[in-house]
Amino acid sequence: MTAWRSRLTRHAVLIVLCAAMLVPAYLLIVNAFKPQAAILGSPFSLDARELSLRYLQAALTNPSFSLARAYVVSALVALISVTLVIVCCGPLAYLIARRDSPLYKILFYFFVAGTFIPSQAILIPVVYILRTIHLMNSVPGLLLYEAALFSPMTVFLYVGYIRSVPRELDEAASVDGASLVRTYWQVLFPLLKPATVTVIILNAVFSWNDFVDPLTILGPTSNNHTVTSAIYEAIGQYNTNYTAVFPDVLLAVAPAVIFFLFMQRRFISGLLAGATKG
Amino acid sequence: MPTSVTARSARLGRALSGPDRLAARTRRRQPGGRPGWTGRPSLAGRRVHETVMALPGVVLFAGLIGVPLVLMVVFSFTDWNGLSGQRLFNGVSNYATAFRDPTLLHAYLVSVIIAVIGAVLLDVAGLALALAVAGASRANFIYRTVLFYPFILSAVAVGFLWNALLGYSGAANSVLHVLGFAPVQFLGTPALALASVTLVSVWQLLGFSVVVMVAGLQAVPGELLDASRVDGATRFQTFRHVTLPMIAPTVTFNSVIVLVFLLRSYDIVVALTGGGPAGATETVAYKIINDGFSQGQLGYGSAQSVLLIVLTALVAFASIGLRRRGRHAGGVR
Repeated sequence: MTAWRSRLTRHAVLIVLCAAMLVPAYLLIVNAFKPQAAILGSPFSLDARELSLRYLQAALTNPSFSLARAYVVSALVALISVTLVIVCCGPLAYLIARRDSPLYKILFYFFVAGTFIPSQAILIPVVYILRTIHLMNSVPGLLLYEAALFSPMTVFLYVGYIRSVPRELDEAASVDGASLVRTYWQVLFPLLKPATVTVIILNAVFSWNDFVDPLTILGPTSNNHTVTSAIYEAIGQYNTNYTAVFPDVLLAVAPAVIFFLFMQRRFISGLLAGATKG
Repeated sequence: MPTSVTARSARLGRALSGPDRLAARTRRRQPGGRPGWTGRPSLAGRRVHETVMALPGVVLFAGLIGVPLVLMVVFSFTDWNGLSGQRLFNGVSNYATAFRDPTLLHAYLVSVIIAVIGAVLLDVAGLALALAVAGASRANFIYRTVLFYPFILSAVAVGFLWNALLGYSGAANSVLHVLGFAPVQFLGTPALALASVTLVSVWQLLGFSVVVMVAGLQAVPGELLDASRVDGATRFQTFRHVTLPMIAPTVTFNSVIVLVFLLRSYDIVVALTGGGPAGATETVAYKIINDGFSQGQLGYGSAQSVLLIVLTALVAFASIGLRRRGRHAGGVR
């Protein structure tokens, strides 16, 4: 009897709490379709006569900060930087995991330490370097920096995973005369699929949500914006035109949320693997 | 036929068991023993391959993380203002300025308040909720999803959303109005604005802490809990003397991650309060970007960056030290 009651209490508390967590999401979705007067007067109301797609459409076709274009830039940056980091850091992680030389040990410590560096802290010298190599105010410059920011976590994940793969596998390949490069890409890499999926999911989401790096590196004057820097420019500070705020925010978060709903289990298990392998 | 070589070794690797493995080892000790086979690549060739594999990752990391770290330290000793190409060495004067700059000291206070209060709330609430939703039922899965979703949202979007909800004419005040209360300046008074930034950050990270704690709880062996129950311990006693010592390292781990994350708070601050009112919620990361880029004081901004990294390292090492002690005290993991 008491067990039954305590279980009921637990569910009641959790349901109330989850409802509270969802209130901002409800307000975000509902108010993205309402005119300013309705948002201010009755933010919680859901009246079919008030709803309109007009505000979402206006946000998508905003001539100065086109979100449609920003989607393309954000997606490209995520796609290319993740590919780059997999191609660059996977083989390196293989050597770190398999070689016992102190050089690789030191390298590994550098990468682990890199996970603690706040990206804002090195932004000033990064801008200086990108300007020196003429990649400032450009998408290639941004995706190189994003890839560099992912590199510590990627090496970390791959090294942890490769160490769980039996050495005999790649040793057998090298006995048969396959080169290191071939051994990694043709023998080992297919076996690392779970780690690669984790790398893709985590880095794609972090790249999509990154804000200060695209804002600074692409620059306010350029035509290129990622979704986050575009909504920042479109909304601006202290903006109280809520018919712009809610649709912009909704459009910015929608792809990440949809992605998460499909990849939820892998996202969370990957996050835990990345966080706890240390 | 190089492809078939690697395909075969993959198959071989999968098939390797006791005696075969021994054979493979023997074969490795006698290279070139196979008729018609040209042998393994030369030592020099392997060096080249190794370099080709290691270099891109090292260059990427060194070029855009390592070298910037060194440059940051160099710039922090100069008066570089970004306008002229000229950078004059000015010793530790940026650091002297930093320790006398009341707005920067205030920014440190703000960052530390957000990080420490946020971490304590996330430890306590994360653990309490994890205990409630750790089971493998369908309902618990849904609870965990709902608690987790804010983590996936971009922080700058979260800031703008809550700015619209907590603003003077926002949804929170319209609820208060319906209930008959006067409107509250959630973002307009220094203390409430700081509380808002902290709580919105906690709202965003709560699901992450819950997931970390659930993973810790699931690693606690069920036999221990059963044994304690058989011995007649109450649920609270079991929690206090069995569960808590077992997951103490997980709690410390959660603290480190969220402390390090919250110490660099920037996106939420920019979108939620813009650092206001009157600089009350400016964090260290906010000052770095503001002084470095908006004000063009790149030397001074670099010195602030060095100090932020030192602070982050201190916090991380202190917490890892605590974690080590926790491990000696009998924690697992």
